[in-house]
Amino acid sequence: MNAPITPSFEQLQRELDFYRREYDEMGARLVRLQEEQSRAAREARRSKIVARLVRDAYQIVHQDIFASKIGGLILAMVADTALCDKAAFLKRDPMNPENFLVEHALGGMSADALNMPAPPAFLFTASGKPPEPAASPLIGLIGVPFILWAYDEESGRGVLLGKKFEGNIHRPFEARDNEIVEVVLAVYIDLLLRKGAEAAMRQARQAAEEASNTRARFLANLSHELRSPLNTIIGFSGLLLEGRARTAPPAHRDEFARQIQAAGRSLLALANDILDFSSLGHARLQLRRDWVPVAPLLHAVARALAQDIAARGVWVDVLPLQPELQASIDYDRFRQILTNLLGNAVKFTPPGGRVEIGACLVGHGGVRFSVRDNGIGMRPEDLDRALEPFVQLKSESNEHPRGAGLGLPIAKQLVEAHDGELKLSSVYGQGTEVIILLPEGSARLA
Amino acid sequence: MNGTIRTVFAQDQDAAAAVRAAQAALSGEPADLIIAFVGGKHGPEAVHAALRAAFPGVTLTGGAAAGVISSHGFGYGGFEIGLIAFHGPDVTPAMVATHDLLAGEFAAGENLGRSVHDRTADGQAVFLLFDSVASVAPLRLHPASQIMAGFQSGLGARELHVVGGGLLTDINLSGGWLLDGADVCKHAAAALIFPPGIAAETVIFHGCRPASSFLEITKIDGAEVLELNGEPALTVVERMLGLTLGTTSGQQLSLVATLGQKQGDPFAPFDENAYVNRLILQANPERGSLTLFEPDFEAGARVQIMSRDNILMLESVTRGVADLRRLMGSKTTLLGLYIDCAGRASVMSGAETEEAELVVDSLAPEFPFMGFYSGVEIAPFAGGTSRPLDWTGVLTVLQTAS
Repeated sequence: MNAPITPSFEQLQRELDFYRREYDEMGARLVRLQEEQSRAAREARRSKIVARLVRDAYQIVHQDIFASKIGGLILAMVADTALCDKAAFLKRDPMNPENFLVEHALGGMSADALNMPAPPAFLFTASGKPPEPAASPLIGLIGVPFILWAYDEESGRGVLLGKKFEGNIHRPFEARDNEIVEVVLAVYIDLLLRKGAEAAMRQARQAAEEASNTRARFLANLSHELRSPLNTIIGFSGLLLEGRARTAPPAHRDEFARQIQAAGRSLLALANDILDFSSLGHARLQLRRDWVPVAPLLHAVARALAQDIAARGVWVDVLPLQPELQASIDYDRFRQILTNLLGNAVKFTPPGGRVEIGACLVGHGGVRFSVRDNGIGMRPEDLDRALEPFVQLKSESNEHPRGAGLGLPIAKQLVEAHDGELKLSSVYGQGTEVIILLPEGSARLA
Repeated sequence: MNGTIRTVFAQDQDAAAAVRAAQAALSGEPADLIIAFVGGKHGPEAVHAALRAAFPGVTLTGGAAAGVISSHGFGYGGFEIGLIAFHGPDVTPAMVATHDLLAGEFAAGENLGRSVHDRTADGQAVFLLFDSVASVAPLRLHPASQIMAGFQSGLGARELHVVGGGLLTDINLSGGWLLDGADVCKHAAAALIFPPGIAAETVIFHGCRPASSFLEITKIDGAEVLELNGEPALTVVERMLGLTLGTTSGQQLSLVATLGQKQGDPFAPFDENAYVNRLILQANPERGSLTLFEPDFEAGARVQIMSRDNILMLESVTRGVADLRRLMGSKTTLLGLYIDCAGRASVMSGAETEEAELVVDSLAPEFPFMGFYSGVEIAPFAGGTSRPLDWTGVLTVLQTAS
């Protein structure tokens, strides 16, 4: 039996040193492996961030939001990845191609715009990398030293991400981070295009629906507006053709003829209105502007409607106005506008009521026309509808008003063709006022 | 027990909108006290104004958080808001605060400890929050070890269950602030004292493993370790790890290794609970030194370089949650509170799994749960008094005492 070997102190010391060295070496390897694993995980994080951004951003496609909100939502998603402290989308200024406007920002920017004559497609800053001159204005804008930038020349849009520190949490920005900013920018531009296309489609659908509604209203109104005068024409012409009418007194026959003529004029006016409205809706009206004295125009309009005014039993006043006042307008078209407005006012003002028509110089060479009545007025909810074509508002008495419902819409379009604005205000039961404002340079005193 | 505790999470770039969303989720009885954890991209004044408007008359505390962890949501992007709302005197903590950390962390902690001593009996649970960042440039933290040394001194013989954390605006240590019930404060600490009817159980999750033999600190100045085994500390660590550290910002060191001091028998088998780890705040190549998060290591102390171990970190969570379940027994749990080192977030650790989400998934939705990413964690350590810890997750449950 061998006696146990007792190692010497030197042997034990060597053994201890051996284990210590190995332990330290293993420990160092552990640290390096851990670091490599962490680095790999952080690299993988870039792909995860990209995937998450794409996934989250495309959720927006299904949301009912305006295109103008998309940038803010995407920046919030970017921030949620803890990738940066600040971020912004920039857009080339259409008025000055060297200028870039901040479209959306997360965190404060030092300005709303940035001058950048030659924006690079991509750049980043890091402490271990020589600075690029193009980075300076971007750093100045975002206010933090470490940035990522991507720019798309075709759309004129860029994205800028920035962080205050580069060391502790995130690895420094590097060239491969172009994946992140380029994806952010591409997704943003793509979503803007999609939302733009969606909006255009929605607008087209709305226009089609509106046209369909208009057509339906048109047909409904037209049948009424055609039937009444046609019945008049058929009825009275029938009477004239019958044997009894030949023996009737001449005054009766004249009356029959007048009724037939009035019905015919009514049909002609309706046809004119429809043609007018149709042509206004399809092409920009060519106006023949001239300096027109306003006072004679207003009096002429009032005179033209004298018969209706008398028949209705209302008072029409042309308000005192400056005799030198002239407006740069198409005489025939503006007369049509005022005739429509005054005709409406007369139509919706009960006997004994009062209608005023006037005009005055406003601001620096603008002009304001007004037609005001103390008639039946309109309910607030009817104000917008009154400007829609083929809409006829019913009065309290439920009386079906005459006309195709085109007077105000035509007037509005003609005013807009004059670069003016038509405003409607009304108090139900108290009256209505229509104001036309023509811009500066439309009036003078001559 | 009639009182209730509720938690809510909201996230929005607009602080007021985030608070409104949180308010909507908390609709019902007005709270007596709210602890708010606020992501660092929100301005403190704006958040405070929004909270004040949404919860008039409610005592507001809490402060900046490098991220929020809850069963309703999770994130560290900077726009998170997590609220814990306490309803009823039997669950609502009383608050005492100090604003004197800048003048001296020990003295401020001691005053706070005395105030807590005067308002407590043995066994009560206390939640301690403090502003972690004393100065951004140059970077200096309010050392939790000094605050806690003072706090324990102020407590005297009082035995309390103290947990807590340092408040940070973000993981980059770029700021911190605290709500003291009335205002947004810097350099302040608050102690929330839970009523005697509430008991706390706490487990600590780790995630570091020794990667070197023992090294003796031969020269140290506060938190700056100048020499290990008689050589410049940075040289020793770089040589041992075979890595060149501190070449850029120096802060990268905290991504790589920590220094750990083993408590008890140094040659006992590895037990993660036996280690107090200190993160490395920065390296100074000129001085060859390493600055730690805390100045509580002394010359002569034997430390080891510790490697983060992401797998160990996740295993530690699984083990810790199982331990906590055993400790919880059948008592009613009112709140789960998680104070998680910001460095454990996967954005920093590189872990494939978010450790905090693992914690939430392990417990939710059994009881209201709220956590935040902190600069330092405070918890009862090794059966003794509470002390500050780095690179840990501190999970506490508040339960009915009986």
